Amino acid sequence: MQVDLQGPWSPLFGRLTLDAIPYDNPIIVGTFLGAATIGLIVVAAVLYYKKLPYLWREWLTTVDHKKIGVMYIILGLVMLFRGFVDGLMMRTQQVIAVGPDSPGVLGAQHGFLPPFHFDQVYSAHGTIMLIFAATPILAGLGNIIVPLQIGARDMAYPYLNAVSLWLTTAGAALIMLSLFVGQFSNAAWVGLMPLAELPYNPGVGVDYWMWAIQLSSLGTTFNAINIIATIVKMRAPGMTWFRLPVFTWVNLSTSIIGLTAFPVLGVALSLLTADRYLGTDFFTVGHGGNFMLYIDLFWIWGHPEVYFLILPPFGVFSEIVPTFSEKPLFGYLTMVAASFAIAGIGWSVWAHHFFTMGMGPDLNGYFSSATMLVGIPTGVKIFNWLFTMYRGRITFTTPMLWAVAGIFLLLFGGFTGMMLSAPAINYTVHDSVFVIAHFHCMVLVVATGAFAAVAYWWPKVFGFKLDEHNGKLFFWTFVLGSVVVFVPMFGLGLEGETRRLDYIFNPQWRPLLIAEEVGIVLYCISIFYFLKMIYVSLRDRVPAGDDAWGTGRTLEWMTHTPVPFYNFAVTPQINALDELAWRRENGLDKVKPETFVPIHMPSNTAVPVIIGVLAMAFGFGMIWRIWWMAGAALLAIIVAVIARSFDKNQGYILTAEEIAKLESKTELASVIAEQPKRAPLDHVEAH
Amino acid sequence: MATIAKAGPNTRLWNAEADEHDTISTRTFGFWLYMLSDALIFTSIFASYAVLSTPMNLAGGPGPAQVTNAVEGFWQTLIILGSVFAYSQATVALKNGSKAGVAAGILVAMALGVAFVSMGWHDLAALTAQGNGYSRSAYLSIFFTLIATHGLHMGIGILWMLIMLVQIARFGFTADVVARLLNLRMFWQFQATIWVLVYVYVYLLGGAA
Amino acid sequence: MSAHHSDPLDNPEVQQGTTLRFAVAFLASVLFMGAALLVSQHKLPFLEFAEIVVGLTFLTLAAQATLFFGLDISRAQIWKSVSLILTVPLFIISVGLTVWAFSSLYSRTMLPANEVPSMSMPMGSNATMSMPAQQTLLQ
Repeated sequence: MQVDLQGPWSPLFGRLTLDAIPYDNPIIVGTFLGAATIGLIVVAAVLYYKKLPYLWREWLTTVDHKKIGVMYIILGLVMLFRGFVDGLMMRTQQVIAVGPDSPGVLGAQHGFLPPFHFDQVYSAHGTIMLIFAATPILAGLGNIIVPLQIGARDMAYPYLNAVSLWLTTAGAALIMLSLFVGQFSNAAWVGLMPLAELPYNPGVGVDYWMWAIQLSSLGTTFNAINIIATIVKMRAPGMTWFRLPVFTWVNLSTSIIGLTAFPVLGVALSLLTADRYLGTDFFTVGHGGNFMLYIDLFWIWGHPEVYFLILPPFGVFSEIVPTFSEKPLFGYLTMVAASFAIAGIGWSVWAHHFFTMGMGPDLNGYFSSATMLVGIPTGVKIFNWLFTMYRGRITFTTPMLWAVAGIFLLLFGGFTGMMLSAPAINYTVHDSVFVIAHFHCMVLVVATGAFAAVAYWWPKVFGFKLDEHNGKLFFWTFVLGSVVVFVPMFGLGLEGETRRLDYIFNPQWRPLLIAEEVGIVLYCISIFYFLKMIYVSLRDRVPAGDDAWGTGRTLEWMTHTPVPFYNFAVTPQINALDELAWRRENGLDKVKPETFVPIHMPSNTAVPVIIGVLAMAFGFGMIWRIWWMAGAALLAIIVAVIARSFDKNQGYILTAEEIAKLESKTELASVIAEQPKRAPLDHVEAH
Repeated sequence: MATIAKAGPNTRLWNAEADEHDTISTRTFGFWLYMLSDALIFTSIFASYAVLSTPMNLAGGPGPAQVTNAVEGFWQTLIILGSVFAYSQATVALKNGSKAGVAAGILVAMALGVAFVSMGWHDLAALTAQGNGYSRSAYLSIFFTLIATHGLHMGIGILWMLIMLVQIARFGFTADVVARLLNLRMFWQFQATIWVLVYVYVYLLGGAA
Repeated sequence: MSAHHSDPLDNPEVQQGTTLRFAVAFLASVLFMGAALLVSQHKLPFLEFAEIVVGLTFLTLAAQATLFFGLDISRAQIWKSVSLILTVPLFIISVGLTVWAFSSLYSRTMLPANEVPSMSMPMGSNATMSMPAQQTLLQ
């Protein structure tokens, strides 16, 4: 059933008019001025220091997995900040707008965010945090570390790796653009039906949300293919399956989830796209539509997605805890088995997100039991970490602090998750803030894992450690803030506060809401310490050794610090699990290769970043119904892909002499260093 | 868990010969993984089809028995299987390094593929002309989506075959070209597999009420 | 980097293809699908018909997997075989649980089709929603 879109449409600009820019919204105008100022400062600095060619050659056109990983993490941290500001706005709105006497400013009857704007804020918060903050950071970590841990030179598909990054960035750019041009979705991060359908949402908000997620989920699927193929095909000689580090195993199980679950999200969103653009009747009211189908498809993706997010942090803990307990990981085999058990079981439990839909006791019973089953492998992991620490020599460095905090938060989140998996409890707290508190505890485990990993592996990539003192201040304020925001929220949920409220009618909840606001202030302080930590670390730049923490056990600590762009001068031969620890025990950890051989490296290419820009143009054109832009961009992407397949560039050869020189002065080969142009090979041997 | 062996005189720490990777099999494995994700796309569409093909989703319009004809569907099945056979034969000619043989197989596969897509297009166009287009009901929406998604994959495959003809002529059988030909073989065979499932689920089982 | 490159055509996946394999795969698929078509022309009860057709489909897919795709446990193919076998349960889970969930949902919450005035009954068969959950959605 076709629905007439409201508003004007012109062939040149589609639905885009000057009215799309919200001049009259002071919050957005302020945000724009702040963002524009920061953007202009950055651009001015780049131009002033004449770094544009460097940026283009070394970063924007790179296919090096480490640089791509760093860019992923930068993207994730920037989006994390934006998502945090959304969260700050929600908390502040909810602490002000309590009770009928609460004041209202800026056009809101209560608080400072009118309902429609508040809806966009929580929709953006969820979408950004899960898909544009957590996922890129974790993808970036896997990108940097997995090839190093298996002794490979790069991922299996370096070009595809870059394409994944730029597709994700295109999606993030669309979300940022939605702040200033048009609006964002008000239908929550899941896309509530039929609210997201055209009759109820004729604007562009839902379209922004849809296309941003589609682009980035394509990037995620490609990344999953890359990691699986890399781990299966590119391991160094002697790196048998049961000598893989747990972080690598976990990335394998995570990528299996990424490969299999994300296509389902693509279909769910594509069916919605068809409804909104072509007038099909999948999720409509009437004409036989069934919007519960959307919920089903969405959560078939949605539940594996949360395991996709939490498994890599588990892997991070499994690396950090042994390193800082100076003991091998307890229960290596059960850890590996548990990772796959979580991935496998997690694929079959999705309907616990909608027990209340009315499928009936048989199905609710099945999904409830299956959900509870996931607690077993998770418990195995927790016990393994604890047994690793038991009678170890523990040093509480910043990464270790993050890991221990993560394990505690996992307990909170896990127990409340088990509560929620019982339909009897679920029916009373479904769609209440109890659920929000539960999953925030879980995503805080993701956050602690991410911060732990960044602190842990930072010296490997950049050559100096992050400042410990400010790092610990950042840690304590962040964890304290987490506790103070979310523990009261469990209580409020049990008292009946529902989700997504822009106005809280019950003044008796005010004390707990004030407590939550105190927590968010603590988070703000933690951001200050985070920035201070980065500043102090960059200022002091205390060089770190190859084995930066002194007690590394796995292969990545065998490379130089900072790690050279070719990873290993000569591919290592693996002799044991925890190869570096084995070499150290045998007194072999300082032995370097005697002779070097030439290395075949892939060349940089501009095609991925061009595809990213075109993808963003395609998304923008589709969102605003600028058909010529969308069509041209799509055609250009196809042409670019085909044209690249005719490219005869076969990479370049790094000679043994060059490697010897780079090995003696390792700063010349780091991710920051500028590399000279090296002539590519372009002869291809045919049969 | 792995026994920590002590280092001995024969312990090797570095392995310079290890850099030769079989690039073709790395690429075909990655493409296979992509196809598994594509299989999940079709799985979701099949699941949606199951949910949206009850009488409630017909909105008074036609259902599976009215829009499908098992015999016509069988001719389509024959044509697509023939196309897959033709392309697979092209890869047998590849074994012998015969550019002409490969090109011939690809051309036959393309022709049959185009025939298949035209038949599907004709079906959908006829339904639309009757007033039973994809916006008539949820059932017709999912039916069109299933057929069109498969058809779109076929179209991409046909374009890919055209490009391979050009690349074989220009580059000969390099590692890249051979890898692409093998990927295309898997892709094309996969389309026949999906069609078998469509034929069985939609045409045979759906048409039998 | 070693000085030699192996001939791309020596790759096992190229070498694996033979006319015999592909012809048998083609014929098997055509015959099994033809048999399914013939069976459909007889008016069997739905459940039996479905069993036969599903069996024939399974045979067809097995023929295609081993003969067209060439999946086996050889070194060149093993990872493809393993990854496919591990993914098959996901196909079954997602479609199976969806069908179960929705048929249970409909029987609990939906009005029987013949009681809803806006819906016509194109089949003319006994396809009401008041039947218990055994009823399939494969109308």
